[in-house]
Amino acid sequence: MLSRRALYPEIEPYRTGMLQVSSLHSLYYEESGNPQGKPVVFLHGGPGSGTSPQQRRFFDPDAYRIVLFDQRGCGRSTPNAELRDNTTWDLVADIERLRAHLLIERWQVFGGSWGSTLALAYAQTHPRRVTELVLRGIFLLRRSELQWFYQDGASALFPDAWEHFLAPIPEAERGDLMRAYHRRLTGDDEAVRREAARAWSVWEAATSFLLQREDHMVHAATDDFSLAFARIEAHYFVHRGFLERELQLLENVGRLRQIPGVIVQGRYDVVCPLHSAWQLHRAWPEADLQIIPDAGHSAFEPGILEALVAATDRFADR
Amino acid sequence: MAARTAHSVPHRAADPLGALYPAIEPYHLGRLAVDAQHDLYFEQSGNPAGKPVVFLHGGPGGGTDPKHRRFFDPRRYRIILFDQRGCGQSEPFASLEDNTTWHLVDDIERLREHLGIERWQVFGGSWGSTLAVAYAEAHPARVTELVLRGIFMFTQRESQWFYGRGTRMLFPDAWEAFVGVIPEAERGDLIAAYYSRLTSDNPRVRAEAARAWSMWETRVAALVADEASLAHCDDLDFTLAFARIECHYFVNHGFLADELQLLTDTVKIQHIPTTIVHGRYDVICPLENAWDLHRRLPRSELVIVPDSGHSAFEPGIAAALREATDRYR
Repeated sequence: MLSRRALYPEIEPYRTGMLQVSSLHSLYYEESGNPQGKPVVFLHGGPGSGTSPQQRRFFDPDAYRIVLFDQRGCGRSTPNAELRDNTTWDLVADIERLRAHLLIERWQVFGGSWGSTLALAYAQTHPRRVTELVLRGIFLLRRSELQWFYQDGASALFPDAWEHFLAPIPEAERGDLMRAYHRRLTGDDEAVRREAARAWSVWEAATSFLLQREDHMVHAATDDFSLAFARIEAHYFVHRGFLERELQLLENVGRLRQIPGVIVQGRYDVVCPLHSAWQLHRAWPEADLQIIPDAGHSAFEPGILEALVAATDRFADR
Repeated sequence: MAARTAHSVPHRAADPLGALYPAIEPYHLGRLAVDAQHDLYFEQSGNPAGKPVVFLHGGPGGGTDPKHRRFFDPRRYRIILFDQRGCGQSEPFASLEDNTTWHLVDDIERLREHLGIERWQVFGGSWGSTLAVAYAEAHPARVTELVLRGIFMFTQRESQWFYGRGTRMLFPDAWEAFVGVIPEAERGDLIAAYYSRLTSDNPRVRAEAARAWSMWETRVAALVADEASLAHCDDLDFTLAFARIECHYFVNHGFLADELQLLTDTVKIQHIPTTIVHGRYDVICPLENAWDLHRRLPRSELVIVPDSGHSAFEPGIAAALREATDRYR
């Protein structure tokens, strides 16, 4: 692809810290870029995947004060893979705690996949705290979306990877795969937990890029990553994201009207199909929907990262 | 044989047909009256003394194109293309009468006998793969090899994927246009709603439905939609036959005795050397279809092309198809 915009260079944080958000949970956070810059908070996916240094690179470090944090139970937050007191609304409150702790008045909110879910939930709860929304791989946590990815949908395009996802679950339990996985991921048998966590995580890694990336599948299979990722994801999904209503995130779009928004979506995102971004776009036409024709789900697909960096650049001096 | 992943094709933009043989002209054009009404166009190109191969086009209703000759080595193959009932240069144009899967299977046999061919290779993609498997299961002794692409076995699950629950999830924009021509109240059965319009007495209604039907398929056929191919959908001579015949076959569930007929009967063709080529991002006929067929044909080879959609002319698909016909030449 010709002259696509690249990520900003690698940088180190100028400050890292832990924030105690409940009697149980402490969150890792970090700041990088320009301490006097425009604040932006990065919301990672999963839930349960944690942040990585690469994610600082979506933002111009001269223009932005870049805040990354690991959501409850994952990354460097403690306790690891903990499911107690771990809900969407706990995380929304954490974002506010972190904002107040960092003495930030308002900030840009950037998130993809589950990060887009959390960004919408946060912005709909605290719209005045959000300067802009930059969203990618839209996930509205509806039954139909979970059904597509964990029961019947993506499986049609990835029957090879799907066989590996089915393998740990006996025939008799395959009628509701998400619950079958949840039972294993929250059971007492550690070997069963690990096997389920690996298969769950590799399924998502195998389907996240237009062209499969072996390195991501290998990383997804490690215990360090997969246990928190799979346990927390399955926990959120069987509880349907702790939303009060199935269509809550679409119904409350009216609260976002004043917030400039960009939605970046890969045409071949099979994890979070374009259908959801399209419905969000129809409900929130003020936001700028960009469909990337040759990309899947990941933020690091060339066309996706280009559009994301262009979006943060556009908002850099607002 | 196992499934394997094809390598991505470099320089894909340079010449999309670069992987294929050069354009050639037929050495023989003909017409074959297959019943009192239907008269089929056929042609032969390549080497008259070469290994015979019959190309089965898609749709049904898609017709053949000179580019279809280019999948085969013209020095080694006697290449036979024909337009199925009602489409291309066959007559009567867009006719649905006596137009079923089993009429077409009989037509292939008539054409084989007419040309004095004992056995031949059968090559087909999309609906062409359906017809190829139906023909091979009916006349297994006549088939030397099967080269199949973009597998479609005409099960309800497959029809519902494309005209209901599946493709629309990735192409909600194109889907909006497809359902847009049908009033809300009739959207419960889109195929029936389209069928009544495509067979309407009003030519304007027919034309509008034919265009929208063809546009839906064209917009989702390649990995990255090619705007030029959409121009095809403004050609009423193409869209009317394509949409009417395709919809006619869908309304009648492919004229199969039961929806699993073609899959169940694969026991009759397990001995035939078979190559299946399928694009990872074929959203018309998802890879699952090829996976199931491959499982039922344990000796078949499945080539998954990672950076391709449904079209036979995607660079990676074209290269894998040529590789297959080269191997069998």
